[in-house]
Amino acid sequence: MSWRNELLAVWAVTLRNALMGSRNVFFFFELLFWPIVGVLSIGLMTRFLELTPAQASFVLVGTIALSVINVCQLEVAYAVLLDVWSKSLKHQFLAPIGIRHLTLGSWLVGIVRSFAVFVLLTVLGWWAFDFEVLRPGWLALGTFLLGCFLTAWVVGVAVCALITLFGNRAEAFAWASVNLVLVLAGIYYPVSVLPDSIAAIARAIPLTYFLDAYRSYYGFQSEFAAPVATGLALSALYAVLAHWAFLAAIQRARRTGLLLKMSE
Amino acid sequence: MVSSNGMLAIDARDVEKTFRSGWFGRRQTQALRGVSLTVARGSIVGVLGPNGAGKTTLLSILATLLTPDRGRVLVLGHDVVREAAVLRRRLNMASGRPSFLWSLRVGEIIAFYGRLYGLSGARLRRRVDALIDLCELGPYRRVPYSDLSTGLKQRVALAKSLVNEPELLFLDEPTLGLDPDVSVRVREHIARLRREQGMTIVLTTHYMREADELCDEIAFIKAGRILSRGTPGELKRQIRLGEVIALRLDPPTVAWLAEAPGVLRCVEADGWVECTVDEAEKRLPELLRALHNDGVVIRNVQVREPELEEVFVELAK
Ligand SMILES: Nc1ncnc2c1ncn2[C@@H]1O[C@H](COP(=O)(O)OP(=O)(O)O)[C@@H](O)[C@H]1O
Ligand SMILES: [Mg+2]
Repeated sequence: MSWRNELLAVWAVTLRNALMGSRNVFFFFELLFWPIVGVLSIGLMTRFLELTPAQASFVLVGTIALSVINVCQLEVAYAVLLDVWSKSLKHQFLAPIGIRHLTLGSWLVGIVRSFAVFVLLTVLGWWAFDFEVLRPGWLALGTFLLGCFLTAWVVGVAVCALITLFGNRAEAFAWASVNLVLVLAGIYYPVSVLPDSIAAIARAIPLTYFLDAYRSYYGFQSEFAAPVATGLALSALYAVLAHWAFLAAIQRARRTGLLLKMSE
Repeated sequence: MVSSNGMLAIDARDVEKTFRSGWFGRRQTQALRGVSLTVARGSIVGVLGPNGAGKTTLLSILATLLTPDRGRVLVLGHDVVREAAVLRRRLNMASGRPSFLWSLRVGEIIAFYGRLYGLSGARLRRRVDALIDLCELGPYRRVPYSDLSTGLKQRVALAKSLVNEPELLFLDEPTLGLDPDVSVRVREHIARLRREQGMTIVLTTHYMREADELCDEIAFIKAGRILSRGTPGELKRQIRLGEVIALRLDPPTVAWLAEAPGVLRCVEADGWVECTVDEAEKRLPELLRALHNDGVVIRNVQVREPELEEVFVELAK
């Protein structure tokens, strides 16, 4: 396959997801309503508990990360979910494209949408609760966002694999998994507060390191030696694993006939 | 052998497929039980059979959507399992129960799949325009897919299946649930694709007339096995349904007709007596002479081939 065809296939999926998103009534709920509700309720809680500005920022970083990752991973999962919902999955796999085109194309839309959410929430956090998003500097901020996008990619691709493995039944489980990841990665607290055995799981999650690195700029001692490098390395590892799992799931679906069953 | 294989669009041997479902795959459905099928390039072949016979399963395997359990399948010279990626560029498929993303518009759907097959820019626009023209979708170009009627959805599916100008096209019950006049146009379309572009077409249907009208060859499939295969004419002869001599007589019924030499069967319908005979050319003069000698007045005589429907009923027994 030529580079031109590679890019074209990714672009086709990007365009498809963008068009579908722009016509989805729930789009604004996903994009605006829940994230704003999240920041407002958490922000107000920090006031009630009289947290220091640094502590408030610590918690707000968590809730903003939650929204960004949720929006982005949902879009990645749309790589197969849109087709599953409309029962058109077989056309996708009849065409000479790979799963990388589907997931990459969807991820690009996810990045744009979740970045919009991020800007909105940080402006809201800054205006209402004095959240200083830029205190860590542009580079640290960029790394943090990259970490969120990578986490969303891994979770989204894993959801795709689960759905092609178990069919629609897997959907509910898929959504729960995102929140589990965030709870383990220390959404509103440092991982050191977790019990030892669970903290061990947290150390296997890349997002833990990205959150840790970003929060260190608000005056919280980093718990890890090289958080950014570790986060990136782990993300790369999981991205490969998730991709491979999705690939294997598709191959299995071609064997069992689930691919056809989901298109009826 | 090699040169004749080069002329084959499809060469499938002893294909088997079993679906497993339920806990630990305890429920098994043997969808295909050793199917062999060859299709010459540039021909239209119909796969005919009752519901659940395995038609869709066979087509899906040929189109790389499903991997066979056993057997060897070459399509356009490529192995459907090992060389699926190359193959997918050159084939396409449409089904009579189409489904696409609900809020995309007709033009957007065709363009989306066009891009997946490597089209872009002016070439993509030209192809989309041409397909919208061909499938008479002009007025619906900007209509969301979910607002279309069944017939229009089927036309979108047909347009999508032609977006890569496939050498080999699979059509799974292409006229399912269409109004008769629309079916006629779809059939004309299909015939034209082969005539003008030399496309090889494999279609499934359970409408006999469709197969009779369109197909160079027909394969009857039932319970995962191909029972019979040949041109529509051959099939009619092969199972010795013979030809039908229809007579309008006075008196309207003649008792000994069913026992006359060469007569396989006699039925009465709407004042006609329809005798299925082994060979009309030989039996017609004999029958007429015998009837005349018996004092029966012959008001009308017609000779026709049996309908495929009758062949099908015979085979499905
Ligand atoms: N994806 C699938 N999973 C499980 N069973 C299937 C699947 N597809 C078809 N079958 C079963 O295989 C048999 C053949 O089905 P099919 O090929 O769709 O028949 P046809 O197209 O001739 O109506 C049927 O008994 C059907 O229930
Ligand atoms: Mg079928």
